[in-house]
Amino acid sequence: MLEVIDLTVAYGPVVALHGVSLTVADGSMTAVLGANGAGKTTLVRTISGLTRPRGGSVRLDGRDITRLAPDEIARLGVAHVPQGQGVLAELTVDENLRLGGLWRRDPPDQRKALAEAYDLFPPLASRRHLAAFSLSGGERQMLSVGRALVARARVLLLDEPSLGLARLVLVQIMARIRALVTERGLTVLLIEQNAKSALSVADEGIVLHLGKVVARGRAHQLLSEEGLRHAYLGF
Amino acid sequence: MSRFFVLTLIGLTQGAIYAAMALALVMIWRATKVINFAQGAMAMFTTYLALFAIDHGAPYWVAFAFALLSGFLLGAVIERVIVRPVESAPPLNVVILTLGLLLFLEALAPMAFGGQIKSFPPAFSIVGLHVGNSQIAFSPFDAFTLGAVLAVMVLLLLLFQKTNLGLRMRASAFNPEVSGLLGIRVGRMLTLGWALASLVGALAGVLIAPSLLLYPTFMDDVLVFGFTGAVIGGLDSAVGAVVGGLLMGFALSYVGGYFGSDLETVGALVILVAVLMVRPRGLFAVQRLRQV
Repeated sequence: MLEVIDLTVAYGPVVALHGVSLTVADGSMTAVLGANGAGKTTLVRTISGLTRPRGGSVRLDGRDITRLAPDEIARLGVAHVPQGQGVLAELTVDENLRLGGLWRRDPPDQRKALAEAYDLFPPLASRRHLAAFSLSGGERQMLSVGRALVARARVLLLDEPSLGLARLVLVQIMARIRALVTERGLTVLLIEQNAKSALSVADEGIVLHLGKVVARGRAHQLLSEEGLRHAYLGF
Repeated sequence: MSRFFVLTLIGLTQGAIYAAMALALVMIWRATKVINFAQGAMAMFTTYLALFAIDHGAPYWVAFAFALLSGFLLGAVIERVIVRPVESAPPLNVVILTLGLLLFLEALAPMAFGGQIKSFPPAFSIVGLHVGNSQIAFSPFDAFTLGAVLAVMVLLLLLFQKTNLGLRMRASAFNPEVSGLLGIRVGRMLTLGWALASLVGALAGVLIAPSLLLYPTFMDDVLVFGFTGAVIGGLDSAVGAVVGGLLMGFALSYVGGYFGSDLETVGALVILVAVLMVRPRGLFAVQRLRQV
């Protein structure tokens, strides 16, 4: 279970998150919605240790991970798929995927996880020895997600996977992730600007506006709240 | 034996040493985006340490290993103590720190080891080999120099391309933030990168010391020539560094042989300017096909 408790983050005088709290239960998916500048990316960066909060805490299965370094948090099974530039463009597809699982020091299972990732995303298999910079946007996104799976992540933090992706590709990737949530108990925090598509796969939703939580609830309820949609979600 | 052939052989051996120095610079540049101007001074210091060991009765090979090991440790310590604290500062700060380190080491060496010029023993004879009746400008020690540089390069290549540790090191150099998110201890990888680079530099020091004699600034020219080789190669490319270093060795040998050794440094400058005019990013600059 991933818990964010009263998290406040500031960049100098600019407060990016203001007392944000949320809980993602094991085997569920929560979508964090909001416009540009709402604090969505700051939220995931703080959970994964890249940004230090001014106050509040992040807990993983009850353990306080707020002050841990990014690599330590990753080794607890939290995989952060960053926006856009998540792949190591200079390395091959295969090297990128393998990097995900290296910290586990379990070579047989790493090979198994690698094969599973290729099964899940066939376009990657045919490009395994190409440098990642030759991939399309969708393939890069598959690579980032595949790498998190090779890491056998228990918690997946997805930052705007829809960015620059064709709708069909996005739907395919999200369907795969949804299946992992249901079948394997993967816990997902999905950051999205595209509220409609995010709420259609998520269990819960949270709406951020200027660093504060302005609405939360079951995903299908948020989808049907007309006032909320007009005020914050733009559809 | 023709003059040209002699000069080529000399150039090959010298070039191997410049290539090692260029490789050390490129490894540090790739890991931490720092031009380590203290690379030569660090190699000077470790060569003095090797001589210190020899003067105290250590066999050559023990001193040789001692130089490489102390180079490895010196690189690690410098990354941790000097480079790490200013990691997030503007890049120029680190560069100025390496210049300060250069001055510090060149001032410390005469205090620690005495300022007079010393000779450094070679591992093998430096008398040219005999082929048939004629003696060629290639000694057993030159062969050892070439072999040692080649061996280190092959080992580094295997480390970076074939091992998981090398993969982690490359990832950390390319993108520290994403590497951290993948559970890689990026700090350790960068320290190791500096340590290995300094080991390669230390190797260049002990290999060239017998022909240059040992004094506190004896590596300055080697650093300049190695750096020129690294820039010619494109600064980002390990292969480029090796090729650039070898090119420098050949070119300087021809310049020195045909025009006089006083012109060697000027020759280095002319070559650098010429290459950068034709290929501003160096011969082996990484070309990105597509960057989104």
